[in-house]
Amino acid sequence: MNSRFPKAADRGLAGCRTCGKVSPVTMGCCPRCGTHLHLRKPDSIRNTVALMIAATILYIPSHLLPIMTVVELGDVTHNTIISGMMTFWRTGAYPIAIVIFTASILIPLLKIIALSWLCAAATGKVHPSPKTLGRLYWFTELLGRWSMIDIFVVGILVSIVQLGNYMSITPGLGAIAFAGVVLLTMFAAMSFEPRLLWDRLDDMNPAAPDAPVEAATLESGS
Amino acid sequence: MKGAISKFRRSMISWPKPREDVRFSACHYCDTLHEAPPVREGKSARCARCGGLLYENQPASLRRASAFSLAALMLMALGHVFPFLIMDAATLQKKLTLVGAAMSLMADGFQALGIAIFLFTMVAPLLLAGGMIYVCLPLMFGRAAPGAFLVAKWMYISEPWNMVEVFLLGVLVSLLKLAKVADVHFGVGFWAFAGVMLCTAAAVSGIDREELWDRLEVAKL
Ligand SMILES: [Zn+2]
Ligand SMILES: [Zn+2]
Repeated sequence: MNSRFPKAADRGLAGCRTCGKVSPVTMGCCPRCGTHLHLRKPDSIRNTVALMIAATILYIPSHLLPIMTVVELGDVTHNTIISGMMTFWRTGAYPIAIVIFTASILIPLLKIIALSWLCAAATGKVHPSPKTLGRLYWFTELLGRWSMIDIFVVGILVSIVQLGNYMSITPGLGAIAFAGVVLLTMFAAMSFEPRLLWDRLDDMNPAAPDAPVEAATLESGS
Repeated sequence: MKGAISKFRRSMISWPKPREDVRFSACHYCDTLHEAPPVREGKSARCARCGGLLYENQPASLRRASAFSLAALMLMALGHVFPFLIMDAATLQKKLTLVGAAMSLMADGFQALGIAIFLFTMVAPLLLAGGMIYVCLPLMFGRAAPGAFLVAKWMYISEPWNMVEVFLLGVLVSLLKLAKVADVHFGVGFWAFAGVMLCTAAAVSGIDREELWDRLEVAKL
């Protein structure tokens, strides 16, 4: 059933990832916009796994080290992401506590789990259900950026809370580690190649040799 | 009458396509190769295998993209002049600006974080909205601006790094954090950047990628 759909890569054609133009991969660069052409992102799995391991390692110090230090009338308190969230929870600001929990704790973890699953599926270790996993990939790409919120909050508070002896806030090393986690998971998601999932599916159901190679017809609609 | 019909027909066919034998489009998600005929305004072409969007023909695409990105640029200028947050604590009044947030992190020795804020909230939105208007406005008159191909490429590279909406949520969280120690309220900058967020989203969704590049290619010839 899958043989119905011809792949661009099987004909040596590559869709440009910047402008979408389909050209022979032997041209090297897209004739329209100059972007390098690849049939598949090179070393996709290796890069994704490496970036993810780095993100996982950084995830631990990002929650243990303080993201900022508050000096209030001589009292010094070190705030971690979790302690900041707990303060909101205790004071009854549940929606904000949930937003911070989701953006800073849950999303990075879910992203690492989702990308591990995707890499396992793309290398054929688990069944590549491209429709479900494709949606999962799209979701991880969409959500990842929201984790930056805690970094922005640190920047905002450090900038505005400069009240001399009364109160001041300085950034902490945890903020660097956490920014590292967010950026590494974003790069990991970008270096993953979702087309590999479909490739694995086609490996499992090899096309009949006399399969038609006509381009699939287009379905129109909004 | 004849003019009206041809005008109608022109609106039925899509954007001008570069002259080629057969146009192809490869799905970004599953690499299925499709023949890519033009679609009518308001219609989109979807992948026959996975249902992913191949390309769509937005009505009044260039006008919408130019207008919304121009609005985004003007609001951006406004947002850089006025503060995002104003805090009254005792006798002091403190104001938060976007540049101020990036600069204070750099001043505390966290250059990397300051640069990250600078890139994600100032450079990426500027590249996106500025690039869009630089490319789309001349295209409305059938011309490609000098360097338009490079600008368009950078515009698409900057897209995932535009984090204006995340920053705005961060401002909201900060306001709630500070509300117990001081009297804090939103400044004009916050609302201006909320406008930037909406206008940028409208500008980006106003024109399809395939359409923009096709128009650029035709204009260059
Ligand atoms: Zn290209
Ligand atoms: Zn597809």
